[in-house]
Amino acid sequence: MRVIMPALIEARDLTKKYGAHVALDRASFSVGDGRIVGLIGPNGAGKTSALRAILGLTAYEGQLRVLGREPFRDRTALMQDASFIADVAVLPGWLRVDNAVDFVAGVHPRFRRDRAAALLAKTGIAGTRRMRQLSKGMKTQVHLALTMAIDAKLLVLDEPTLGLDILARRAFYDALVNDYMDETRTILITTHQVEEVENLLTDVLFIDKGRIVLDSSLDDIAVRYTAIAVAADQIDAARAQKPFHERRLLGKTVLYYEHPDMAKLAGLGEFHTPSVSDLFVAKLSGAAA
Amino acid sequence: MNTYIWLVRREFWENRAIWVIPLAIGAFMLLCALFGRPDLMVASSAALGRTVGQAFLGAVGATFFAVMSIYAAWYLLDCLYADRKDRSVLFWKSLPISDATTVLSKLATAVIVIPAVYFAAADLTSLLMAFIISVRASSIVGGALWQADLWLQFQVLWLYLILTTAIWYLPVAGYLLVISSWAQRAVTLWSILPPLALILGERWFFGTHVIAHQLGVRLFGFSDVAFNANLASWASAAAADHDAVRTPADIWSFLDFAGFFSSMATWAGAAAGAALIVGAIQLRMRRTEL
Repeated sequence: MRVIMPALIEARDLTKKYGAHVALDRASFSVGDGRIVGLIGPNGAGKTSALRAILGLTAYEGQLRVLGREPFRDRTALMQDASFIADVAVLPGWLRVDNAVDFVAGVHPRFRRDRAAALLAKTGIAGTRRMRQLSKGMKTQVHLALTMAIDAKLLVLDEPTLGLDILARRAFYDALVNDYMDETRTILITTHQVEEVENLLTDVLFIDKGRIVLDSSLDDIAVRYTAIAVAADQIDAARAQKPFHERRLLGKTVLYYEHPDMAKLAGLGEFHTPSVSDLFVAKLSGAAA
Repeated sequence: MNTYIWLVRREFWENRAIWVIPLAIGAFMLLCALFGRPDLMVASSAALGRTVGQAFLGAVGATFFAVMSIYAAWYLLDCLYADRKDRSVLFWKSLPISDATTVLSKLATAVIVIPAVYFAAADLTSLLMAFIISVRASSIVGGALWQADLWLQFQVLWLYLILTTAIWYLPVAGYLLVISSWAQRAVTLWSILPPLALILGERWFFGTHVIAHQLGVRLFGFSDVAFNANLASWASAAAADHDAVRTPADIWSFLDFAGFFSSMATWAGAAAGAALIVGAIQLRMRRTEL
């Protein structure tokens, strides 16, 4: 029997104001089970505000349900099933690695100590070291080991690789995909470095000026969006099909379409599915670019 | 309950001063006992011996208690602010621990755990000092320091002080927690400014000093409510007539247990303290950044 599950995260008209500044402006979106969702937007778009609301770290207006709970009111219960890495730098400097494991094991019913120990052993970081003695990359590994040892349904990562070098970033995402992700889990990642995550995402949420401008799975993107690179002599014919964005590239012009009439574009140039980063730029800079 | 134990343990990891300071005071006092001149403690008679014994226990206890009061206040002012300053609040909040539990664990650390550590340190120090001094000094001085009934009386006094100061200073503790969970920087300055502004404002606009008076009562009026006579007269009464305070039970006549717990000021203060603690919890729920 197939049970229809409500979405893991369901936001309707989610609004967050800081005085006169509107960080989230009636944002509506949902995140389903077993997905890896990228919440992508430029700096100041409202990514962090959305995550703070989802994690119960801030009060908000509008409707929001995460794992069936109201995050701000039920943060404690929510954190049994959800976990997050807000930033790699948040483990306090005075905390020893082994004490961190002891503490989380002591207070978190879903923490699997053996798993944390195995993950930490792989990093080779001694338990007696304090966080302040570790490099940023090592601290990230410790935090990830602690978080991955929690049997959570939802994992939220807010700019998790900020300030890390390329080796540490790659190690972070490899560990996430290989050692953590399975069909019972859902991951929500915010980043402004789209290239870094686009290969592992199943869904994207584009956010700009506090509003959701695209909510789509990557499969749907391939169906919905088309890009075509045309030479100068074909440009007027291509423009007639109403692209929402154009980009000049190496003497050709790349035009972006949503649900175009493929028959009319046929023969004008080379087709391809836009990458997430191209689509991000196209969506956010608009037709006038 | 288990969560509270882990949270208190966590406070010990973060604030090693909780045990390092009393350890340092104790070590210093023991050095004094080892290398000082205990023969300067003149105890020529049994009556004088009681005074010496009381002065000894009183001095050790008062030193520990004074340092503890200052440290506990500093701890309350720092504890929630420190989490936001190093951003570790985002790590603590990723765990299934409510903000109420967190704030109450910090309050419990300040009013129960820290006093208990100092109490134990004061006891241990006075025992070891008495031992060292009685080995080094004349038997009459040594004898003055080994009076079981006096010793028991100080235990009762300490426990009474821990209990009553926790209740009496609850509004102060709550206020410090509010500042700690609210201030963006300079917590010490922020803890002083609002009451100062209120006092000066009241003077300029109304020419009255109700707030200053109430604040004075709260900060300095504790012993008036908690004791029948001040502690100095206990010592002098004992000096004048060594039968005055003889048995451990006698200390009850100086501790105004009934007066303290039936005082309007005690419970009005406790209620204000509870309200401020609720405020600190609400701020902790909302404030994650500096």
